[in-house]
Amino acid sequence: MKLTFVLTKLARGALTLLLAVTFVFIVLRASGDPAQIMMSDEASPDAIARFRERWGLDRSYLEQYLTYLSAIAQGDFGLSFRDGRPALELVMERVPVTLLLGSAAFMITLVLGIPSGIFAALSRGKLVDQLTMSATIFGHSVPNFFLGIILILVFSMTLRWLPSSGTGTIWHLLMPAITLGTGAAATIARFTRSSVLDVLHQPFMRTAKAKGIPYDRRVLLHALPNAAIPVVTVVGMRIGGLIGGAVTIETVFAWPGVGLLLVNSVNQRDLAVVQAVVLLIALTMVVVNLCVDLAYGWLDPRIELHNKRAAKA
Amino acid sequence: MTTIPLSSAPIPLRRLGWLTRLWKTRPPVVIGLSIIWLVVVLIAAVFAEVLAPHGYADQSLLKRLQPPAFLGGLPDYLLGTDGLGRDVFSRVIYAMRTSIVIAVMGTVISASVGTALGIIAAHFRGWVDDLIMMLVDFQAAIPFLIVALAVLAFFGNNFVLLVVLIGLFGWDGYARIARGLVLSTNGQGYAFAIRTLGVHPARVYFRHVLPNMLSIIMVQITLNFPEIILLETSLSFLGLGVQPPGTSLGLLLGEGRNYLATAWWIGIPAGVVIFLTTLAISLVGDWLRDMLDPNLKGEIA
Repeated sequence: MKLTFVLTKLARGALTLLLAVTFVFIVLRASGDPAQIMMSDEASPDAIARFRERWGLDRSYLEQYLTYLSAIAQGDFGLSFRDGRPALELVMERVPVTLLLGSAAFMITLVLGIPSGIFAALSRGKLVDQLTMSATIFGHSVPNFFLGIILILVFSMTLRWLPSSGTGTIWHLLMPAITLGTGAAATIARFTRSSVLDVLHQPFMRTAKAKGIPYDRRVLLHALPNAAIPVVTVVGMRIGGLIGGAVTIETVFAWPGVGLLLVNSVNQRDLAVVQAVVLLIALTMVVVNLCVDLAYGWLDPRIELHNKRAAKA
Repeated sequence: MTTIPLSSAPIPLRRLGWLTRLWKTRPPVVIGLSIIWLVVVLIAAVFAEVLAPHGYADQSLLKRLQPPAFLGGLPDYLLGTDGLGRDVFSRVIYAMRTSIVIAVMGTVISASVGTALGIIAAHFRGWVDDLIMMLVDFQAAIPFLIVALAVLAFFGNNFVLLVVLIGLFGWDGYARIARGLVLSTNGQGYAFAIRTLGVHPARVYFRHVLPNMLSIIMVQITLNFPEIILLETSLSFLGLGVQPPGTSLGLLLGEGRNYLATAWWIGIPAGVVIFLTTLAISLVGDWLRDMLDPNLKGEIA
């Protein structure tokens, strides 16, 4: 992979991050005096004065912006006014729990979405295909919080098989992960199907057939690797959806992760924590998109070539 | 001049030709049902006062937590009552109005802002184009629910802010599409011909380019509308969107969550309405896309 390709993508990621920080800065300043908003009502005048000094609130906007940037770059998001601890620390201790839920949901997405999409494409127009596609329409349309509530109603309230909230055992993980994973799985299945169908119609597939290559070899070695490229992009795009979905799902199942922390902090207007969560999510998204772009360039060298030609032209 | 039938299907009798044609272009049953459901939702939203048997905030504390009429509840309360003795059926009807109104306003905002920015980007090119496309990429990069939550946290919740926020969702899709379409039409003969006649660019876009884009924009609306409904209902469900005493489908489901064990009928009807509505719009949208572009038939991603 060419260095320029990687560098361009890195620069884009850095720009997106800068935009996110700028956005939070503007929103924070536009909403009023940060010293009043960020500190609790009981804060002493002394503490407020120290806060103003710390963030340079008496200086020009440009200076404030630069102070803000350098503080964020050093991981200083301010203190949570609920217990006075650094916001970043509060968020970081929630990250493992959310990662557990997110990766379980992501596994469900992949294991459910990709094979069903492939099977649907290979048996196009048959019953399997129609059933899978109908299921994806349902999975795509059902709001994840409604699905979660239905699952709780059936499996926790009526059948009493699974715990409805909290964390600790694998049984706690099951329903939130399924709820979070199915919507994305539906998108992935539809996309995989159309991507595989696309490849099956390519001339090189006819050539492979004419050469007498057996069916499963043709599918496994010729069709699927080529169909993988667009699917990788969509999988990457769905990670943003997973993060957004985690916020509601963690609330439904009282899963003590970053999403629940965000909702509680928004409700209590604990803004230091809110900005820490938002900027960390922005960072995550930038890293994910970067990985997708790099995987893309690695899977299909033509893309890099194309970029280079476009750059020359 | 003779015509050669392209298919081997028997040519219908001339007299009944229009009937056959009507039969062939009829929407499938599922689509018909979806359209009927959407009409029902629209009627409920528009005529909420007439249709709802009770006011959405009318409490009768003696009739709290009554089960639906068909499960042995009071005949007067079709879907039962909630923890304050309010009629669930009436509340769902009023909630449909709120959610639909917010979604329609949000769609109008995002479609017009997005399309306008896309046209501007394609018209001016250069740094304007770069700036707008950078914003598009930024919007697409961060999950919008998070951005909306952050803004609501900083500014506090109010209805206007909520509608504006929801209107900001999805504009990037319209901008991308409009930009691409303008770029491709600008390269076509008719736009060039009109321009050489000395017509003002704004007139070219309004009278000639925009009408040509409408069908594609319509399809984008059917894709975007369910997501807008989901965004509003998610926010309201989390208690951060529409605030009581107002109602929204998401808010009803959120309220019903606390009564799941004892009175499931408080939340579930609202959830069913959200699900059926997003499902119906998606199905109709898919069907519309097939009608507009027969090449894509059966291969929609």
